[in-house]
This record gives sequence, structure tokens and C-alpha cells, in this order.
Amino acid sequence: MTAEPYAAASGLVERSAAAYVSAVPDQPQDDGFFGPASVTWRVTSDLSAPVAGLRSLLMQALHPLAMAGVDQHSDWRLDPVGRLAATSAYEATVTFGDRASATRVAERVKAIHTRVRGVDTVTGRPYAAGDPALLLWVHVALVDSALAAGTLFGTPLADADADAYVREMTIAAELLGVPHEIIPASVAELGRYFANVRPELRCTPAAAESMGYLLDPPGLDSDIAELWQDIRDAAVTSLPDWAREMYGYPAPTPLTAGRRTEIRQALGVLDAVFLGEPGVLEARQRLALRMRSARTKAG
Amino acid sequence: MKSQARRLAIAVLAGGVSIIAALTLLRGRRGDGSRGLRGSAWRGRRGSGWRGRRGDSGRRAGSLRVERGLTALRLVARGGARYASNAPRLFASAGEHRQQLRNDLALQTAEDVTTTLGTMKGVLMKLGQMASYVDDGLTPAARRTLSRLQDSVPPMSPELAARVVTEELGLPPEQAFATWDPVPIAAASIGQVHRAITLDGRAVAVKVQYPGIAETIEADLGNVALLRRMLKITAPSQDVDGLLAELRERITEELDYRAEARNQQLFARYYQGHPTIHVPEIVEELCTRRLVTSDLADGARFAELASWSQAERDLAAETIYRFVFRSLYEMHAFNGDPHPGNYLFHGGGRVTFLDFGLVKHFTDDELRPLVEMVKHLCVENDPEAFRRAMVEAGFLMPDTPLPTDMIVEHMALFYDTVRERGARTMTGEYASAVSRRFFDFRSPLAAYAAIPRSYVILQRINLGLFALLAELSATADWRCIAEEIWPFVQAAPCTPMGTAEATWLAGRRDLAQAARAVR
Repeated sequence: MTAEPYAAASGLVERSAAAYVSAVPDQPQDDGFFGPASVTWRVTSDLSAPVAGLRSLLMQALHPLAMAGVDQHSDWRLDPVGRLAATSAYEATVTFGDRASATRVAERVKAIHTRVRGVDTVTGRPYAAGDPALLLWVHVALVDSALAAGTLFGTPLADADADAYVREMTIAAELLGVPHEIIPASVAELGRYFANVRPELRCTPAAAESMGYLLDPPGLDSDIAELWQDIRDAAVTSLPDWAREMYGYPAPTPLTAGRRTEIRQALGVLDAVFLGEPGVLEARQRLALRMRSARTKAG
Repeated sequence: MKSQARRLAIAVLAGGVSIIAALTLLRGRRGDGSRGLRGSAWRGRRGSGWRGRRGDSGRRAGSLRVERGLTALRLVARGGARYASNAPRLFASAGEHRQQLRNDLALQTAEDVTTTLGTMKGVLMKLGQMASYVDDGLTPAARRTLSRLQDSVPPMSPELAARVVTEELGLPPEQAFATWDPVPIAAASIGQVHRAITLDGRAVAVKVQYPGIAETIEADLGNVALLRRMLKITAPSQDVDGLLAELRERITEELDYRAEARNQQLFARYYQGHPTIHVPEIVEELCTRRLVTSDLADGARFAELASWSQAERDLAAETIYRFVFRSLYEMHAFNGDPHPGNYLFHGGGRVTFLDFGLVKHFTDDELRPLVEMVKHLCVENDPEAFRRAMVEAGFLMPDTPLPTDMIVEHMALFYDTVRERGARTMTGEYASAVSRRFFDFRSPLAAYAAIPRSYVILQRINLGLFALLAELSATADWRCIAEEIWPFVQAAPCTPMGTAEATWLAGRRDLAQAARAVR
């Protein structure tokens, strides 16, 4: 663990918005690996997406080797906002981009991964970012978080759609080199995966520190910081008990209907802010048009 | 300094609408140190970084979370301001493409409406409409942003609009009207306007409300935690629940078009035959909760006025000014939404007033202290009586331990353009000066000031009217015009428009007498 301080988190919304806009294609060559009729497009566009994003980071950080890779190699401390924006740009490109774009960004990430290897100072275990087991953990954390956040704060999916989402998303892991046969392809398989991986998880100092940063990012524009409180509460509330206990976060009070509405309202306001960023409305409309025409074609 | 203040004064408040600084509805108080409470509990604590807000929520909730909500609108405005400098990519080609796109994205079901305007977006649009006239930080950028938010709401598909008409009138639009134009001519904040010709041949504008929008906004207003925080921070010493109730009532009222139709008809009747003020007649049998039908009006939009002569703009401003204060003093009513889009201009000072979605009616008891205030300050020059009227109105706490001259000094700014005769020009500088005074929380007066709930809406009109006149760079002797209208003065006309109005008024009186005689 290095001792460098984290850089301020200013510009989070602006840079995330710019990343999003750049990832939604103007003139795609094809519908990409998911397409406008996919459950994945719906889930990714859900109101609960910011909660899903924060929750998946909280989950991902609990794997000591995944966390070590981020902590020791990336520019996470120097430019956390840039790193987050790059991550969302990556996810959005894989989701909404055409196949060539998605493959291109995935290849770029794979190339970076080959250089990310070392020894985790906490467990003493060596790690490599290209290790399919680590990539799978990161993938599953994301998929599980989208479902959890959507169920609690967004538009919950029907069981069949939840399974379809998990199944559709396997391609995202494959793009980074995870063998198809080890990727959970249904909600039930997600559950089994977690049961198996649990013993490897723990909250290392690096995880505690970087998640502490994320839950209360310094230097966030004060306006956004106020909204972030609700996103943060929502993300922590949506964690599995075991994950929350690893961090030592107190158990949340039961989610009342009123509190849920309040969080959804905060998400709505954040969404309106996002919508005000350059190009976001147009990007949304590009996607909406394609999703609508897919819906029309389907029936 | 005094003359500076005088120069910067606004005429809007002349009518006795004096609003105290605490009327900073929807605006935040920054830098009071409350943010420090958030502290470092989140950072770098192994295994116990998260200190759980819920655990000690009580007191923290008051000070921490409050600030957040009310910044929402500023946030929205912020994005919009930046947006203005960036050409939207998809809309790069001209209006036609854009219209096509909006049509392609048209809302097809009530569910689409909920998705688009739910979770606060509809409420934000409504609040934003209000805030743009309350918050100095929201002017021109805010207007762009509001239109941005509005842009994000596609029109209803022709089928969906027709379905609403059918549900409301029991007949599809082609049967309920002789002619129905399925292409909307304008967007309203929660609906859209269609042209039609009634079965008896009247050309009308039909405003059709988005289906489900009322329920959506009411649901968001049903959970007021966020709104309460907005208000608490804005006006810590105020009756927050009172303000909230007033806001909710106003917004809810706007969701029922029947109230709008009633109000518009009231104004149309009152101003019938007025030389420059025109309010389109309502077609009552075609108005329902989600439909409002009135005579179709056409004219120049506000933006076109920029190319008109200053003399024309001054005349238009005079008409708007007279409309606002005559409505207040004679009808005891305020037409609440001074949005530039709600006027059509015809030259010669003739103005058509549209959209009566937000009208506040004052009782005699509510209006009297406002009248007293302006009378004592501007005509009788009696500071102590002015102060008593402020207390009576509820603007000032009875035992405020501040000298009267300080209170007057603070308030005088709002009355300055009507304290003395002489032509004055409204400029944008007025807006910021008065806004700064409004939003001056450091004023010693702030702790003793309050906004009685029935006056909340005045702020919206004040700054809205003010902003409009400033945008027109309008020049007039506002005091002179005010004297014509002030019920305790009723001076002789001092402008040609005043003369024409006096003739109209005399005609109205004769008419009323004749009506009485007949009875």
C-alpha cells in the first residue's frame, strides 16, 4: 500500500457524463454484443445505475488481490475521478458500442492487465490482473450490483429478465478473457459463485481506505456531495450483510417506503443534473430511439 | 450609497409587494459550517470507516441533509449554463430534423410519461419554473436549463393526445371538434397545445395535459422530505410547513386545468374591452381537469421584441406593469407565471396574456397590509405606520429589537422606483441588486423577518415581472402609473395608455351601473 494521498474528486459528474457521451455511438456499425432489445441496455439505463456503480466498487474491493492490483498499479490515487470515468466509459462502450468498439476497448484493457502483476502485501499472495478468477470476481460483483440496486431502488426485473441479464452479460467477461464455462449465467449460479468465493474475500486496509474515500469523496463539488450522501446510503444499504460486516459498516435501518422514495428522488435529481451535461440528452435519445425501434420490430 | 440604492431600485415592488429577504425560496445558505460535520469519518478508518448516518441521524439530518435538496435546482441550472456553449450533436441539423426526432421519441403511453417525468423531474420542472423567478442565480442560464429539461420531455404521440381528449370529453377529437390538428403547436410544462376549430366554428387552442403527470407529481409531492430540507435551509426561521403547504397547493392547483380555466375566464371577463390588455376567452364546455380550451391567439413572441423599437417595448412593458398591479389592486389576484412565453405582442402596447395556471387570489385581509405598507412608505411617509403594517402582514416579528429607520432603509430599496416621480429605466443591474438584497442573510433584519404563507407566491411574480421589464430595458415613470392604480390615490392618467384605460374603466362603471339599473 502506498502512502500517497488521494486527489480531490472534483468534476465527477462532468467527467462521467463526458465518458458516457463518448461511449454512446453516433453511427454504430452494428448493435454490439447486446443490442437495443437486450435486458442489459435496460438495466444499464436504469435510474439506479449510480447506486449499482458504487455498490459494485464496494464489492470488487473486497477481493484482496483485485484491490491490490488497483491500489498498486493504477492511477487510482492520483486521479480517482479520471479512473472512475474511464471505467464507466469502458462499461458503456462494451454495452452500447458496436462490436468493433467493444472489442477494441476490451483488447486495450487486456493489454494493460498484462502489466499489472505483483504481490499483495496483506495476504502475501502474488496476483496478476489477467487472472480469470480475478476478472470473474470483478464481473460478478458488477452484475450482482446492477440487480441488487435495481431491485431496491430502480425498476426491478422479472425473474426471467434477471436471468437473461446475467446470461447476456457473460459476454462482457469473455471479452476480457474469462473462459465461458466458468461464468455464472443465471441468478442461481451467481449465488453459488458467491458462496464459493466468500472465503477469499476480506477488507484490506487498501479497501477500507479507498472505499472510505469513495463514500465521502473530498473535493466533490458541494452540490454533488449533498446528493452523494443518498447514493452512498443506498449503495451501503444494498450490500449483502456479509460484505457490510467485512467493512464494519453498521447495519442499515430497514428501508422504509418513504426513505426509498427519497433516495429515488435524489437519483432523479442527479439524473436531471446529468442530463444537463453537454451531449447527455442527445446520447440518451440516440439510445432511446434504437430501443424504441427494436421494441416496435419485436411486436 | 443611498442614491446608488435608489438607482438600483425596482418598480415591481411598487405596488406594495414588499418581500423580505427571507423570501429566498429554493435558495441555499452556504458556508455556515454545517458541512464540516460530515468530517473524516468516511476516510481511512480500517474496517470502521462508515459511521452510519442513520445511527445518529436526528440532529445531523437537520443540518447536513438540509442543504442538499435545495441545491437541486442550481445543479440543474449549472449543467444548462455549460450546455449552452456546446452544440448538441444530434440536433446539429436544423429544426425540422429536431422536430422529427421529438416525434420519433413521442410519449406513447401514460407509463412513458411516468418514466420521463417521474422521480422528481416533473416536480423539478415546476419548481424550476418558479425558481427561475425567485433565485438570482437562475436567470438567463436557468431559463436555458429549464428549456433543456423541457427539451428532455418529448411531445405526446398524436394517438396519446387523442386518447386524453377522448377520456376527457367522451369523444375522440375528430368528433369533439370540427377540425383537430394532431400536430401540437406548442409545448406546455406538463402538456402540449393543439389547434382546433370547435363545432360552432371558433378557432381555439386546446392545452392537453400529459396523462399520469398529475399522479406522478402528486406522488413526489407526497414525500416531502426533500422539499422540506430545501425550505428549511432557505428560510430557517420560517414556518417551513406553511411554506411547504403553500408550494404544494400551488403546484397541485396547476395540475388541475379547471382552476386555470376558471382563472383565465375571470381575467378575460375583467379585462374585456381593455385598450391594450387582451385575455383569450375560455370555451367552458371544452375544459376539464386535463383540457383547457380558449380562443386561439397569435402575435409576436417575447424574443421578437428584441428587434422592435424601444418605444414599442416601453409600451409593452407599461401594459404588463398595469396588468400586474391593476389585477392585484382591483381583482385582488395575481397571475402567477410571468414566463416570457406567456405573452403575445401586437404592437402599440397591446399584449395578449396566456397561461393562468398559477393565479393567487388575495382576501381583503391579506391585501390590506400590503396596501398599507406602500401607502405609509411612499405616500404618507410615515415609517412607524409602515413598520406596523409590516408586522400586521406578518413580514416582521412584533418585538423586533431593531430601529425603524434600519428597517425602512432595508425595505426602501424595494419601493424606490415608486417613492419619487420621474422616468426610470429597468436594466439587468436592477435584478442583481434587488436579488442581492433579497438574499442577504447577513442582514440584521433576516432573523426577524418571515414570509406569511399567502405571500409566498408574490416573490415569483415580483422577480418575474421585474426580470421581464429589465429584459425590455423599459423606461417609464412608474410612480406616476402606480398613482393611477393605487386605490388610495387614484390619480388622473399620466400617459396616453392611462387615458385610454381610464375611458375603459369609465365604460365598465357605466356598464355595471346599467346592469344594476336593469336588475
